Amino acid sequence: MIPTFEYKVPRTLTEACDLLWQYGDRAKVIAGGTDLVISLRNGLIKPELLIDITHLPELRRIEERNDSVSIGGSVTHSEIVSSLIVQTYGRILSEASSQVGSPQIRNLGTLGGNIVNASPAADTVPPLMVLEAKAKILSKEGEKEIPVSSLFRGPYQSALQPHEILVSISFKKLGQDMKGSLIRLARREGMAISRMSIAVILQKKGDLIEDIRISIGAVTPIPNRMKEAESLLKHQRYDTDLLKMASEKVSSEMILQTGIRASTPYKKPVVEALVERAIRRAFGDTQ
Amino acid sequence: MRGIGLNIPKVDALDKVLGTSMYGEDFSFSNLLHLKVVRSRIPHAKVVGIETGEALKVTGVERIFTAKDIPGNNRIGVIQKDQPVLVSDRVRRVGDPIALVAAKTIEGAEEACEKVKVIYEELPFVKTPEEALRPFAPPIHEKGNLLIEFNLIKGDIQVGFKEAEIIIEKTYTTTWVDHAYLEPDGGVAFWDEKGRLTVICPTQNVHYDQREVASLLNLPIEKVRIIQPTTGGAFGGRLDVTVQCFLALAAFHLKRPVRLLYTHEEVFQVISKRHPLKIHYRSGARKDGRLVAVEVDILGDTGAYASYGTTVAVRSAIHATGPYEVPHVKIRSRMAYTNNPWSGAMRGFGVPQIAFAHESQMDLLAQALKMDPLEIRKINALQVGGETATGQLLRASVGIRKTLREIERWRNKISLSKFDPERPFLRRGIGIGSMWYGIGNTGIANPSTAQIELSPKGEIKLYIGVADIGQGSDTALLQIASEALAVEIKEIQLIRADTSNTTDAGSTSASRQTYITGNAILKAIENLKKEVLKEASFLLHEEEGDLFVEEGFVKHRQKFCIALPIQEVARRTGRTIRGEGYFDPETTKLDPKTGQGSPYATYAFATHLAEVEVDIETGKVRVLRVIATHDVGRAIHPKNVIGQIIGGVAMGVGFALMEEYIPGQTISFLNYLIPTSKDVPEVIPILVEDQEPSGPFGAKGVGEPALIPSAPAILNAIADAIGERIYHLPAKLERVLEAVQKSKSD
Repeated sequence: MIPTFEYKVPRTLTEACDLLWQYGDRAKVIAGGTDLVISLRNGLIKPELLIDITHLPELRRIEERNDSVSIGGSVTHSEIVSSLIVQTYGRILSEASSQVGSPQIRNLGTLGGNIVNASPAADTVPPLMVLEAKAKILSKEGEKEIPVSSLFRGPYQSALQPHEILVSISFKKLGQDMKGSLIRLARREGMAISRMSIAVILQKKGDLIEDIRISIGAVTPIPNRMKEAESLLKHQRYDTDLLKMASEKVSSEMILQTGIRASTPYKKPVVEALVERAIRRAFGDTQ
Repeated sequence: MRGIGLNIPKVDALDKVLGTSMYGEDFSFSNLLHLKVVRSRIPHAKVVGIETGEALKVTGVERIFTAKDIPGNNRIGVIQKDQPVLVSDRVRRVGDPIALVAAKTIEGAEEACEKVKVIYEELPFVKTPEEALRPFAPPIHEKGNLLIEFNLIKGDIQVGFKEAEIIIEKTYTTTWVDHAYLEPDGGVAFWDEKGRLTVICPTQNVHYDQREVASLLNLPIEKVRIIQPTTGGAFGGRLDVTVQCFLALAAFHLKRPVRLLYTHEEVFQVISKRHPLKIHYRSGARKDGRLVAVEVDILGDTGAYASYGTTVAVRSAIHATGPYEVPHVKIRSRMAYTNNPWSGAMRGFGVPQIAFAHESQMDLLAQALKMDPLEIRKINALQVGGETATGQLLRASVGIRKTLREIERWRNKISLSKFDPERPFLRRGIGIGSMWYGIGNTGIANPSTAQIELSPKGEIKLYIGVADIGQGSDTALLQIASEALAVEIKEIQLIRADTSNTTDAGSTSASRQTYITGNAILKAIENLKKEVLKEASFLLHEEEGDLFVEEGFVKHRQKFCIALPIQEVARRTGRTIRGEGYFDPETTKLDPKTGQGSPYATYAFATHLAEVEVDIETGKVRVLRVIATHDVGRAIHPKNVIGQIIGGVAMGVGFALMEEYIPGQTISFLNYLIPTSKDVPEVIPILVEDQEPSGPFGAKGVGEPALIPSAPAILNAIADAIGERIYHLPAKLERVLEAVQKSKSD
């Protein structure tokens, strides 16, 4: 049974910030509610107040600015999927949103919620990591812009303070020479939590890897960029042996973060294979 | 033909589409009390005390029932009555019911459940059937931990293996599978205006429920009324009592309406599961592919209670050879009690598990003999005049060879390449799975009854005790009646699955209702026609022997001007004319030592071909297409049969690749994965109609057969794709990858 609570729908961001300042951790922000309502029903949280932020116009927009794209915190996955702006300048993110849950969940679930819920398996997070996305955060104390990567403290633990609101997420438009690739593995095709996901953005110059960003999802407690693998590949000629070495760096990093688990014998070869596959795809090598 | 073979709209379709169907939870009363069940959280313990004091103080709580409030027999069970409705002395599994709270609100009932204090003395618990059967294992029931040992012996197994030129010996395992019906169990109970304790809730057998409730409450059977509302699936999970006894007990004492609705989490925790079976299988064949010996040892986990454990042990043994003729057979099948979730009936009663084993063995034999997997099946397939492992002579309707021929025709058209140049990490393969399935209960009487009435107002009423659980028996049985009476379906009123108005039809299980109740209806109509002729003879002053019924009219053999509609006969006599029907399939009891006999009157046969794609780097399997050929005798409603087949394939994909109930971990659909629409392959259903002479218009059954061959075909296709076989279901990512790694190291 869902416990009783107050429900408020602020009309302005200031009003929302005031409420959060007043209630602090006795309040919860609700947008799509696809994760929050489950926690309510399971008795994991018992907020006095729910603050519905889906009516704040600043949080509902997808905007193209000079060299960047900004997406409001309560933009839904379905809206991201159908946005031409995101498709053009951050395709890897539209792909990720298109793989979230089911049509019903995508119609309700939001980008901001996916980040703040801080699930290690959040579908949009690895793409945001490689897009080097920034989060605009607002509170009574003021506005700040921080990397999305700094918003995670642990599994299901967001670094966002109880009085703060995630207003929007922005990232630099990807250049023509930058290709993204996303691979998601789950136990079934639809309505499944990701078992592993790999996001790669690669800048190519002839047969040279000019720049590369790699992030993996669902297999580490918090999202990470795979820096060692990245620096191994950067400015190097594309080469399958090098790819293999880089993928081994990724699996070592994964094991470093999680320790050896019962699932490691499965995950190690699979994460290596999928990292290689993702880089191959981003490079345009179908073999 | 007026009804048979026509794809008329299902009679329940319109209400379902409009949302006007009434399910268990849709019945409401103004002065309703809500029920919740207090359940055990540990697997095995003595219950020393149940303290309800604090719980009774919760606002709105009216009463809390324990075993002491049961006036009659506190033991239920379809075959062995070993399951308490409310535990009095001992819990044997997580989820065992201990107390029942009645409150004005659901919240109040839930809060009170939390406050009921159960004092336990924990007992060591048994986790596996092997453990259960060891000497000095903690006994779960007084009679010991072995529920049943069934032996099937034909020929001389030693002679058989001596003749064998190739022997394959392997062990296969399967795990708990949930029915995953979408409508959670729930319903209402109340005393009706005629003083009958009435329960409305989903079920597969109202008359069984009626007997259990009457025995629980020590009421005369006619004082209990069970009504089955529209039901959202069952697949065997509703053959055992679910909410019936709780509802009845509370309404009995409280004298006011009560409602109990399970959550999905509760359904997953407390409803029976498919039996996990461990199957040790040894088969021997000659070089020409002829099977000469099959020896199987089956050990199943029935969990805390018997339920259908005996049925599954026996049925899996009888079907262990597969649809093949084998001269020398020795099978031992045992079922043990454990403190695991209880296993019960689920679509196929052990045959889906054993089919996975026998079809893997057939492919292994073919591989060893360098034969085509289709060829080895054709060589051994049963045929008319053949003899089953129980020594039953098959006299008609053995369509297995026809299904194999259809599959061969399709296979010749397939151009599936093993490799994909664009995606080098993929391997593709095809696999075949065949099955046979005995229609109806095993080696026991399992009759059905039906009545048909013509009222003086000209109405036609069909009374059957059959629960339609969504599979379409209402439509198929009306088609049979309409055909036999030669009247339109819309002219027949159907009264069904209500113990006060219908008689026992047995359960909706074992793919039996079309065949058995269909025949009972035909018998009722035959008897009705006799009565009509008697009345007509009186009305028309004609000799009864000169009259006959044709196309819904009473006609005269010589006087062609006489043509009286049968409804008109009832109108003119001013009385209701009634026909009663009874049908019990022809079976014999199995010999207790050798298991020999004729357990079923007829068998259904099927073969599936699956095409799969395996990602050898991740272990991910995609089923691309399934070609499903089924010998159904005669399809009364072809589209509905096809619907069953497609649903069966979907369930088979789940059984093969992902479904796995893990005690203590599985919560609900959250982490119990069943295939979604994106996981279900293209299905090409092919109906083979090898008519069954004893079936209504030649029909047999398809409900369970639809599921059985899919998983074996998929597993054989995976083996074809990766060159290594998987022996444990489900073939999840980790297992497939492991097999790939093994095939590389070999």
